[in-house]
Amino acid sequence: MTASWSTQQHHRRQTRVVVLILAVAVFLLPLVWTLLASLQVIPDDTATPPAWTWPPSLASYLEIGIAEPGFAQELTTSLGVSITATALTIAISFAAAFSLARSRFRGIRLTVQGLLVLASLPVMAYVIPLNDLFLLLRLHDTLAGVALASTAVNTPLAVYVLYGYLKRGPAETEESARLDGASITQILWRVTLPIVAPGVAATAIVVFVLNWNLFLIPLVLTAGHVRTVPVAMSDFFTFERELEWLTAAAALITSLLPLVVLVIAAHRAIERFNLGAEQEIL
Amino acid sequence: MPTRRERLLLLTPLALILLPFLIWPAVFGLLASFTNYAPAQLQVHWVGLANYASIVGDSQFQVAFRNTVVFGLTVPAELAIGFALAYLLREPFRGRGLVRVILLIPWLVSPIANGVMWHFLYNSQIGLINFGLAWLGLAGLPSPLGAKGLALPAAMLTDIWRKSPLVCFLALPGLLAIPRDHWELATLEGASSRERILRIALPRLRPLLLTIALLLIGDTLGLFDTLVILTGGGPGSATLIPALYSYQQAFQVHNWPIGSTLA
Repeated sequence: MTASWSTQQHHRRQTRVVVLILAVAVFLLPLVWTLLASLQVIPDDTATPPAWTWPPSLASYLEIGIAEPGFAQELTTSLGVSITATALTIAISFAAAFSLARSRFRGIRLTVQGLLVLASLPVMAYVIPLNDLFLLLRLHDTLAGVALASTAVNTPLAVYVLYGYLKRGPAETEESARLDGASITQILWRVTLPIVAPGVAATAIVVFVLNWNLFLIPLVLTAGHVRTVPVAMSDFFTFERELEWLTAAAALITSLLPLVVLVIAAHRAIERFNLGAEQEIL
Repeated sequence: MPTRRERLLLLTPLALILLPFLIWPAVFGLLASFTNYAPAQLQVHWVGLANYASIVGDSQFQVAFRNTVVFGLTVPAELAIGFALAYLLREPFRGRGLVRVILLIPWLVSPIANGVMWHFLYNSQIGLINFGLAWLGLAGLPSPLGAKGLALPAAMLTDIWRKSPLVCFLALPGLLAIPRDHWELATLEGASSRERILRIALPRLRPLLLTIALLLIGDTLGLFDTLVILTGGGPGSATLIPALYSYQQAFQVHNWPIGSTLA
C-alpha cells in the first residue's frame, strides 16, 4: 500500500520533470535560434538532411556598429534612463507605500486598487497630451523628460506591490523607535527599509526591466536627440531598410543580455517579487 | 504611526509625478476626444460625441475593434499556460529558483524585439517552422504573417509566447502561499490533480489571477509595438487594432482628436 503510493508519487514527479524540461525547451527555442543566428549559425533547408552553416563567428556583432552607428550610445542612453527612472520610481513608491500602509482611512482599499487601474492604463491613452505638456515645459527630447515620464508609467504598480510588503512590515518596531525619539527619516531608513529590503530589491529589478523595454514613451517624447534601444531597433527596422536577420539577431541578443544577466544574477532576490501580497491583507 | 503631516509629506512626491505626467494627460486626452483639439491651435471647439460618431462609422475602426476582441483571447490563454507552468513548479526541487527565472526570459524580450524576432522566425528561409518541415522532407511554407487569415493568430502566438512566462512568475508566489496541509489533506481524501486545482488552487488564487488579468488586459489594449514591426496592421488591415490605428492617426496622419478618441 505504502510502496505503491510512493511509486505513484515517484512517477508523478518524473512526469513533472519531463513536462517542465519540455516547457523550458519550447519557451527558450526561439531565443536559442536567435542566439545561433547572431553567431552566424543559420539553417540550410536545401541540404538533405537540413544542415547548419558552420563555423560560428562574431562578425554580426561587429556589423551592428555599421548598420546602426549610434548603437553603443543608445545602449548607454537606455541604461542611464532606466537606472534613473528605476531609482526615482522606487524612492517615490517606497515613501508613498509606507504612508498608505500606515494610514487608516476609509477608502484606502479603493485607493490601492485605483493604483492598479492606473498601472493598467495603456500609454497610448495619454501619450499625446503628455507630449504637448513636454513641449510646453521644454522637456521634449531630453533625458530628464524620458526618465520622468517612465517614472510616472511604472510608479502606480510599484506602490501597489510595495504596499503589500510594507503592510506586513515592522509597525511595532517603528512605534518603539518613535518613542525612543527617532525621526521619520531615521525610522524609514534604519528600521523599515532593512526589513523589507528583499521585497524592494525584487520590485526594483522588475521595474528596471519594464523601463528598459519601454517603447512608446521614448518614441513619442523624443525627436532623435535622445534615443533608447527599442526606439533605435524599430527605427532602423521599419523605415530605412529591410534589416539583415543576422545583424538584427546580434542587436537583439545584445539588448537582451543585460537583462538576462541581471535576472539570473539576482534570482534569489527576484524570487521575492509578490504581486499578491496586498491581497493577503485586505 | 506617523503623524498626519508626515504621511502627507511622504505622499507628495507621488502626487508630483502622477498628477502632471499621468493623471492630467489621461483626463485631458479624454476631454480632448470631445473637441477638435490640435497642438498649437488657439481655438478649440466642443464637438460633443462627433469624434466618437466618426470612428464608429469608420470601417477601419470596426475592423480594428473586432481584431482587439479576437486578440483579447490571448489573455485567458496566457493565464491558463502561466498557471499550468506555475503548478508544475509548485513542489520544491533543486534549482527551482533558477528554472523559475529562466522561464521568465521570454518576457525580458522587449515587445519591439519580439516583433523583429518573430518576423524572421516566421520567415521562410531562415525560420523555425520550415526547418522542421525540411526535416520531414516537406516543402517550406510562406510566412503566416503575409496571409490574411493567419496573420492575426500568428501575432497572437508571439504575444502568448512572451507573456505566459510572466503569468507563471506572478502566479507562483500565490500557489506557494497555500498551506501545505491543504494539499496533503486533499490528496489523502483521494482528490485527483484536477480536483485539487479546481477546489484548492483556483479559489485561493482568484484575486491574484484577477489582478494579473487586469494588467494583461491593459497591456493587450495598448499593444501595438510588436504589431507595428510584425505586420504594420497588415496584410490589408487583418491585424489592425485600435492602439495601432490611433498611433497611425495621431502621428502619421496628424489627426489628433481622432487619435485620442480611439485610444
